[in-house]
Amino acid sequence: MSNTVVKHSELRESLKRCPESAIEAAVAFQETKDPALVPPIVLGILERFVEPDVRPVIREGNDATRLMDDLGIDSLLMVEIVILVEETLHISIENEELRNIRTLGDLKLYLDAKTRGLPPPASKNVLNFEQIAATLPQQPPFLFLQEARINGEYAEGSYHISGDEAFLEGHFKGNPVFPASLMLEALGQLAVLFLLKSESGPVDSPEVDPASVFFVGGDGIRCHRVCRPHDTLQLKVRLKKVHEPLAQFEGSIFCNGTRVARAEEISLTFATRLAGEAVGIGVR
Amino acid sequence: MSRSVVVTGLGFATCLGLDAGAVLGALRSLRHGIVRYEPFDDASVPVKLAAPVPGFRTDSADAEDWTFPDNLSFRLDQLRALSPNALYATYALRQAIDASGLGEDAVAHPRTGLFTASAGSAMLTHHHIDRMKRVGPSRCSPLGIVASTAGTLNFNLVPALGIQGASAGFISACASSGHALGYAFDEIALGRQDRMLVVGAEDFTPETILPFASMRVLTPSRDPDTASRPFDRGRDGFVGTGGSVAMVLEEGSAARARGAEIYAEFKGWGQSTDGTHMAIAHPEGAGLARAMEAAIAAAGVARENVDYVNAHATSTPMGDASECRALRRVFGTGGKRPAVSSTKALTGHALSLSSIMEAAFSVLALHHGFIPGAAHLVDPDPEAAGLFLPRESLDEAPRVVVSNSSGFGGANVVTVFARHE
Repeated sequence: MSNTVVKHSELRESLKRCPESAIEAAVAFQETKDPALVPPIVLGILERFVEPDVRPVIREGNDATRLMDDLGIDSLLMVEIVILVEETLHISIENEELRNIRTLGDLKLYLDAKTRGLPPPASKNVLNFEQIAATLPQQPPFLFLQEARINGEYAEGSYHISGDEAFLEGHFKGNPVFPASLMLEALGQLAVLFLLKSESGPVDSPEVDPASVFFVGGDGIRCHRVCRPHDTLQLKVRLKKVHEPLAQFEGSIFCNGTRVARAEEISLTFATRLAGEAVGIGVR
Repeated sequence: MSRSVVVTGLGFATCLGLDAGAVLGALRSLRHGIVRYEPFDDASVPVKLAAPVPGFRTDSADAEDWTFPDNLSFRLDQLRALSPNALYATYALRQAIDASGLGEDAVAHPRTGLFTASAGSAMLTHHHIDRMKRVGPSRCSPLGIVASTAGTLNFNLVPALGIQGASAGFISACASSGHALGYAFDEIALGRQDRMLVVGAEDFTPETILPFASMRVLTPSRDPDTASRPFDRGRDGFVGTGGSVAMVLEEGSAARARGAEIYAEFKGWGQSTDGTHMAIAHPEGAGLARAMEAAIAAAGVARENVDYVNAHATSTPMGDASECRALRRVFGTGGKRPAVSSTKALTGHALSLSSIMEAAFSVLALHHGFIPGAAHLVDPDPEAAGLFLPRESLDEAPRVVVSNSSGFGGANVVTVFARHE
């Protein structure tokens, strides 16, 4: 019995400055190992380490909340969080596994599997450059995505402007500016990736034929700022509507935290493999 | 064409106070900052006194437990990366920059550098290594190194201020922040930088102070009002202190052009090494004498214009005697001699911090036209015969001030400041 008391008081000491609810959940978890207690513990630990102004965001418990962009958790702070989570849940988290955890939802799913002793969920929705190139029909030097991830109804990606792109020599002479038309292209490529890779909901079972996807039209396109070599474009598209053979997205591009471009509507045409040939309309 | 160097900002987190006004008052009235220090109450501790920094409490290894003045604030990730000395340094440096009137853009500028001196944090080093041994490296704070090691000031201050010019830390024990000042002077004089921020800092914790009790160099005195008495025959060791002092140095014509308030001119510096013992000063003060000669020559000032020497004297029997011999050798014992005092009578010894702290006191003396007296001196050591040791502060405006520092390893650094005309 006294052993249990000591363990509880050590746990309380490590978790001091976490919300009381998280501490209670952790004490209960120590006894019951009930995976249902993991989310309140983990959210409480996150809350302890983030700045006061973003704590309400954690309390909303939205699975799409991004640890780095929305909560301001950098890699070192993440290590502090991991240490406390490991200590509290008696698990160990590998660096490899950490890399795939970007949202609150990822974290919950991962820890749920971990505490149940199951293998961590594979992160099929995070794609590196090689995977993107293996998926999209677009190829270098006309591929403007280096990293992407698909999340429910939206996809995010990034493209770093190296400055070595051949077209920058002429756009413009002595004044390299990433072309606005290619910003739209990059958003379009991310939308194509969404169509080809999304697993949840809108475009399910029948596989979209990569050779069938084409741009149809765009609307409400605005560029707010120019981007230059060494800028990184942070791209995001959200599916608005899909009904074969048309899919409509909205998209935006951020750079260093400010919006540089948005498109109210990007329309693509596509065909599923079962439906046979592509039903292309308009611009090819 | 040579470039002049001027002091345009001072910042203080010291046992004498948390701003130039408080420190100035203490130096003029010879009010000390030494107290009976509770953590030393244990019977096994042979030392009872220390000089804490008011308004700060950093004895926990958990930075989130610390208390510090309200005008300091940190994000959690910044706070958890701090050592106590980096906390003091942040306070002092921000104050010095405010006093200088330099804007954020001038601080975060390729022509502005930062030189620092601290011994790292013995308390946090012990805490993190102990935890690593108990629970393994994977369960230890990723910021342990940033907070603990001797680079902690640079690691913390560079990103906080956006420093883009030179940045380095200096290690020469109790002469460390003198080296930081001296090499910062060189950066500006050689045209490499236009502005240098210089900060010295030291934890105020038992882990930093008590190891000196093992060397028997701390005073066992229980009377805060007489414990630290440099040059007195009855001196019996130093009192530990910590905190931080920061200085903003600028190229003279640029400082004048922007209408900055100039506290004093930094005329030059000199250094030498005893080459004899790991911890004990050369008995004849030969090294310190050479450093003073070199500094006065480099500064291009006449020896007879030196009106005040802020001595290194820590109130230890051997160290003070050695400095007396060095002072006699350089300034003689008759005729016009500078006033000499060690302000460690008021502050105790701040180790890595002490050199810049005393340089800053010297700058205040030049700027406000007074000479700090030799507090607590009752019965001068015969070795001090012939030195002018005023018992009270003098209302005389010094023209040139020399500030001495010596550290373990026989390092001697001497800085020379002059009144700005």
